[in-house]
Amino acid sequence: MTEVVLAIVLGALYALGTFLVLRRDVVRVVWGVTIISQATNVYLVTMGGIHGSIPIVSHGGGGHHAVTDPLVQALVLTAIVIGFGTTALALVLTYRLYQEHGTLDLQELATTEESQ
Amino acid sequence: MQPDSAVLLAVLAIPFVGAALVPLVHRVLGERTAYYAATIAALCSGLLISQYERWGTVTVEWIPALDVSLVLYLDGLAFLIGLLASGIGVLVFIYSGGYMHGEPGQAKYYTTLLVFMGSMLGVALVVDLLSLFVFWELTSVASFLLIGHYQRADRSLYASRKAMFITVSGGLFMLIGFLLLGHISSFVLDGSTFTLIGTEQSLIGIPGEVTHAEAIRHELVERGLFVPVIGLIAIGAATKSAQIPFHIWLPDAMEAPTPVSAFLHSATMVKAGVYLIGRFRPLFVPEHVFAAEVWTWLFVGLGLATMTIAAMLAVSATDIKELLAYSTASHLGLIVAGFGFAETVGAETGAFHILNHAAFKATLFLVAGIIAHEAGTRSIDALGGLRHDMPIVAAITAVASLSMAGIPPFNGFYSKELLFDAAWETAHHFGGLTWLLPVVAVFGSIFTFLYSIRFLWLFFGDRPTELGEIHRPPLAMLLPAGVLAIIVLVLSLGAAPIAHDFVNPIVKSSLIATPEGYHFSVHLPHALKPPVLMSVVTIAGGIAMYPFYDRLHHGIRRLRSIALLSPNQYYDRGITGIAHVSDVVPRYVQTDLMRTYAAVVMSAVSVFALGGYLLGGTGTDLTEAVSGVNLALPITIILAVAVVGALAVDRAPSHIAGVLTLSILGFTVAVFYVLASAPDLALTQLVIETLVLVLFLLVLDRLPAFYGELRRGRAILDGLIASGVGLTVTITVLVTTAADPSDGIAHFFVEKAPVPAEHGTLITDAGGGNNIVNVILVDFRALDTMGEISVVAMAALAILTLIGMRNRGERA
Repeated sequence: MTEVVLAIVLGALYALGTFLVLRRDVVRVVWGVTIISQATNVYLVTMGGIHGSIPIVSHGGGGHHAVTDPLVQALVLTAIVIGFGTTALALVLTYRLYQEHGTLDLQELATTEESQ
Repeated sequence: MQPDSAVLLAVLAIPFVGAALVPLVHRVLGERTAYYAATIAALCSGLLISQYERWGTVTVEWIPALDVSLVLYLDGLAFLIGLLASGIGVLVFIYSGGYMHGEPGQAKYYTTLLVFMGSMLGVALVVDLLSLFVFWELTSVASFLLIGHYQRADRSLYASRKAMFITVSGGLFMLIGFLLLGHISSFVLDGSTFTLIGTEQSLIGIPGEVTHAEAIRHELVERGLFVPVIGLIAIGAATKSAQIPFHIWLPDAMEAPTPVSAFLHSATMVKAGVYLIGRFRPLFVPEHVFAAEVWTWLFVGLGLATMTIAAMLAVSATDIKELLAYSTASHLGLIVAGFGFAETVGAETGAFHILNHAAFKATLFLVAGIIAHEAGTRSIDALGGLRHDMPIVAAITAVASLSMAGIPPFNGFYSKELLFDAAWETAHHFGGLTWLLPVVAVFGSIFTFLYSIRFLWLFFGDRPTELGEIHRPPLAMLLPAGVLAIIVLVLSLGAAPIAHDFVNPIVKSSLIATPEGYHFSVHLPHALKPPVLMSVVTIAGGIAMYPFYDRLHHGIRRLRSIALLSPNQYYDRGITGIAHVSDVVPRYVQTDLMRTYAAVVMSAVSVFALGGYLLGGTGTDLTEAVSGVNLALPITIILAVAVVGALAVDRAPSHIAGVLTLSILGFTVAVFYVLASAPDLALTQLVIETLVLVLFLLVLDRLPAFYGELRRGRAILDGLIASGVGLTVTITVLVTTAADPSDGIAHFFVEKAPVPAEHGTLITDAGGGNNIVNVILVDFRALDTMGEISVVAMAALAILTLIGMRNRGERA
């Protein structure tokens, strides 16, 4: 079943995330990566179907077909946690970068590296 | 009688095993490793000789499931090349024991030489074209390492790179030819094959029993691939056998130690190209020999041009090894031309001259090594009258160089005579311009005569006063040269019986069909036939021109200095051009800017994905898909909020504003999970989102409120890239959600947990829970979850280190 609204929303989220990744400010790049990973999680959940009932045995609705894909949800759950780890690491790297170089401007960092 | 498969496999394996042991042996034996290597070579040639006349095929299953097997084929030609590789190997290893005395890198030297010998035996014995290609390139790699033996010298680096570049890229052309042949074979045989000869389902078939050559040729012509395939294989052979204009690597390759030059660059490796031509001859030449026009003109033209031009270049040489290198190219040209002539006498020329040339040229190289070693110079002008100091070497040289000059009764005379015969026959048949062929053959041979005599003259005439004291050569160096000279003598004096018995099967390997009662024979001429007349002209012309040798020498040198005529110039300029490109390209692709890398990767993904959809189709009708909007209003609203949140992040005026709006996005995604019936995800997302917010705020407290100014042009460009990515994602989501996979792994879990009432056994009983997602995470995919936990732990450790390092300080 095609998900038109989700397709448009995901497209928009990816576009906004990509735009941020292309910025000079390291913090914005981290944001961009975060947005893209959020969008990817939503995409995966969408792939598992969002119209069924929750995949819990005792809470099942009527009918056999009506449950969302539990495997995808398990996968995304892992992804969310790992995404947290990545973001945390990226933030601390950003912090250290600023302490070492006194700037968060990627452009500036590239040019100073070349001149060294 | 069939060859013994174990013996043939041993011949292939022993050199490689021996090579692997060299480092150990070298520790024990030191410089005497030479004799260890010579023993291995002797073992190989002994085993090979034990299989003499047991012509036939050995198939060794390799990966039966994929129909991959190693096909070894032994016939006269394979035996000859294998015997040259192992037999001359024995002599070269012994000689190395004297020549390499006190030289650096001996373990590497002997290892590489043994690997080379094994690869060359592989080239000779293997008839599966893909394995043949592997061994072929292995010989190139070994040659690269040996030419570059003196790693610190710029000239040997240049030379080894040149040889590698030319021979390996030629090999790649050849590989394309092989692949085309394999492809064509599937239309003629049951399934495609890369086996050239020796089995029922091979390209040529079994000589005398099954033949597919005619059908393969027909199929090639039908599909317009006949000329391309011959051309591609010819490029492979020409680069390896140093044919014009690819001959330029051979003179430079003389930077290698002299035993290497004698072994690889005159007797064996450069013979691989002519071997290939001889091997493929029965496939490409039809039974009506004068119909093989493509084959004849290509190889006769290539061979005679190389023979003549390289002989002239040899006359212009100033260094004895340079002279021998050009002379090698010239004689390889003679062999190529021989195989090029489609008549029987053409195959006779090629087969006999491979043997003759290997014998006299290896001898001369060893002599050149002795001269350089004992006299300390390789300059032709600085040498002379060496017979007083080295009488035995002078005798050896006399035998070998008179054979090279083609003077009767030496063996070189016979093969040259056969070439003249072939050229005369062909010209006689076609008439017209083809009368140039015998003329060019004689012209080239006169130069061969000239430089052969010049080389011999190093031992005669006056001894230059500035030439210092010359030592007698050590026995280890003299003996191999002497043995080779005796072989030349044997070949010369016993030419008739040897041709009759030993060379006959070699010739038959490259014959198309053996005529009834055919037997190869040579004899000294007793009537004045055209070829004899041509030999007389050659020798008379050579004697007449010898007094003008110096003038010729300088004249050709002047011609060589014209840049336009020099292939070396084109090679050097090409290499400089390539190096320049590799200099320039990184400046654009490796900018040290993350945005360059991200932009390239993301645009590439979009372009490829969209291009794929355009070319391959999406499999669904998107316009129809778009018409049905079926999402509940709450989800739609919450998703709209998410987009607004993300938009606000993009436009955030400060870091704090950005982080807060990023949280809006995160929390709306949590709400989306609630609405999408994924409660576990919603819970996790809420926790994580809170943590991330706190973390961002903590870090931002220490960071400046920097926000790079947005330039208009850059924003538009980035906007375009971002829109491209967005479009790709939208279409991908539409395509993937339209698909409806009927069964997935997910069904397994759902079926094991029948919803609602039956209460499946697996999830609740074995998994001990009602929540399928939870049971999957901690039971079915528990290892995954453990991996996930370790990732988080790793991240925590990394963060601790990053912060901790700061406090301890780096002493850079």
